[in-house]
Amino acid sequence: MNNSSFFKAVPALLWQFLFFYIPLLFVVVLSFTDGTTSGFTLKNYALLFDSVYGSIVLRSLILAFLTATLCLLIGYPLAYFIALKKRSLKNVFLFFIILPFWTNLLVLTYAWFFILDRDGLLNSLLMNIGVINEPLALINNFFAIMIVMFYCYLPFMIMPLFSVLEKFDLNLIEASKDLGANQWQTLWNVIIPITMPGIKAGFLLVFVPAFGEFVIPLLVGGDKYMFVGTLISHYFLIGQNKFAGSAFTVLSSCVLFVVVFFVSIFVQKLFPSHREIRETEL
Amino acid sequence: MKSIRLENIKKSYNGDVILENLNLTIPAGQFFALLGPSGCGKTTVLRLIGGFEEVNEGDIFLGEENITHLPSNKRHINTVFQNYALFPHLNVFDNVAYSQKIKGLSREVIAQKVNKVLKTVHLEHHKNKFINQLSGGQKQRVALARAIINEPDVLLLDEPLTALDLKLREKVLIELIDLQSKLQTTFVYVTHDQFEALTVADQMAIMNQDGQIEQIGTPKEIYEFPVSIFVAKFVGTTNILKGIFHNGSTPQIELPGLGFFQLAVPENKELVEGKSIYISLRPEKIWISIPETPGFSNHLTGVVESIVYQGRSTQYNVRLKNDHLLSIFEQNEEHFPRQVIDYGSTVNVYWQKENAVLLEK
Repeated sequence: MNNSSFFKAVPALLWQFLFFYIPLLFVVVLSFTDGTTSGFTLKNYALLFDSVYGSIVLRSLILAFLTATLCLLIGYPLAYFIALKKRSLKNVFLFFIILPFWTNLLVLTYAWFFILDRDGLLNSLLMNIGVINEPLALINNFFAIMIVMFYCYLPFMIMPLFSVLEKFDLNLIEASKDLGANQWQTLWNVIIPITMPGIKAGFLLVFVPAFGEFVIPLLVGGDKYMFVGTLISHYFLIGQNKFAGSAFTVLSSCVLFVVVFFVSIFVQKLFPSHREIRETEL
Repeated sequence: MKSIRLENIKKSYNGDVILENLNLTIPAGQFFALLGPSGCGKTTVLRLIGGFEEVNEGDIFLGEENITHLPSNKRHINTVFQNYALFPHLNVFDNVAYSQKIKGLSREVIAQKVNKVLKTVHLEHHKNKFINQLSGGQKQRVALARAIINEPDVLLLDEPLTALDLKLREKVLIELIDLQSKLQTTFVYVTHDQFEALTVADQMAIMNQDGQIEQIGTPKEIYEFPVSIFVAKFVGTTNILKGIFHNGSTPQIELPGLGFFQLAVPENKELVEGKSIYISLRPEKIWISIPETPGFSNHLTGVVESIVYQGRSTQYNVRLKNDHLLSIFEQNEEHFPRQVIDYGSTVNVYWQKENAVLLEK
């Protein structure tokens, strides 16, 4: 890095340092104190050795994983479809993908009440055409959380996927076919490996915030499910126990970090970026 | 090695007819060049053979097998793409190994085959490099190696030298010819560059702007005996002169403002008196001289209007009496030429009647 480019980066680094790294350090320090005794204590962490906390972390991981996977499975074909369109059409499609960003998250989430409610749009539609007789329980459950999570996080998946797919050279698909591959082999051996940076970016952009999400479960999940985000907000806002809250924050962050680390290694094994066939040395 | 036969092919995009009623046979085991101006549909022909496009009408045969509706991954045909279309996420070895891996061959067999092919194209020392670490010529060889490892019945090459500089082009052309004679595979080489086509082809076809084949033949036949003005002008440079046919004691052409000139008429040609015809006169087949030279069947005079020195030859543009401009090449055989032809010199221009090609269209 030469000096001039370093100086340009200073404002952002300073901002990050002041408002992210220092507060993070506070949280870590807080997690080792209890406000009464001076010096460090592991009391807050000892409290976390309870299966309840483990299941909350696990539930958040599952939610984040399902959300990211669903976004990927639906978002990938959609991004592919948009990327192949003509320039003018592309912009129209992207506009519609980004449009939800312009609306407040609360408004977006509440809009789902009108659809998923007992006498909401979906239930009345299904009853009117005679598919069901009784309204389905569509809200205040895991299903509702999944639907709204998927809905809110989809654009975060599509944008990075779109940017790699747009640059994808379609001649490579013809080359792959020419060399005897069918479309599934082409997808697995050419398209997915080349667009892997976008898949990774999109997956992380959805997975990480979805792990800590607390607004959506709070609004449409009823009170049945506790997630990492909901618990942390409970500690800090309702329970006023910033010490235990900090400990739980640190612990869940570590879990997230470890999970992301191992998933990346797994993906790297599955799609090595080079040398798929190791040549036998002669 | 197998032949390719296209029968009554029709292909259109969004109502634009690119090819219509196209018939073409590409003989087995030959280096076949398809030459035409850009946009004439020659790449479409290649894509139809490769299976990347579907015909609207007609049939395509590989040997005796009808492959019209066979998908490209089932055709025993491989392609060297214009921009190479190499896989950027794989190294040289894995690019070449791709088709073998799809086939599900064992690692040992794949490694053996890949190493052998890489040796053929002189890339054995670059097998661990990634595509973006290669030069243009090396990329071209990887594309070639990747296409021939499958030992295809037919190899398609879509303007494969466009991205290379001139010196390298000539080298690669020679290598391609060697490779073809070694493999004995049918090569179909599409290009708009007449020099490339003349160099590599055993047989070549000239396609015109409307997607029709104007002429098929050996490079020598095409160059020396073009059948139309289009072919004569597209392959090489030429002078086209328009005149009237006269059948006296000997066949003659009357060029307006210049007089009567002797003409060689091929035996199979039937011409009626007074028919409007053309002759194609290659610049290198005309003799230019200031003093009179005996022994030629046709003679004209003119004034040198411009001189273009091109190293091994010099091009003279001579204005004739009827205001027509005639191009003439003369080899620069000697350091000190026997005569100095300068701007404004009045020169004698001669040609033998056998060296002018009679054209009807």
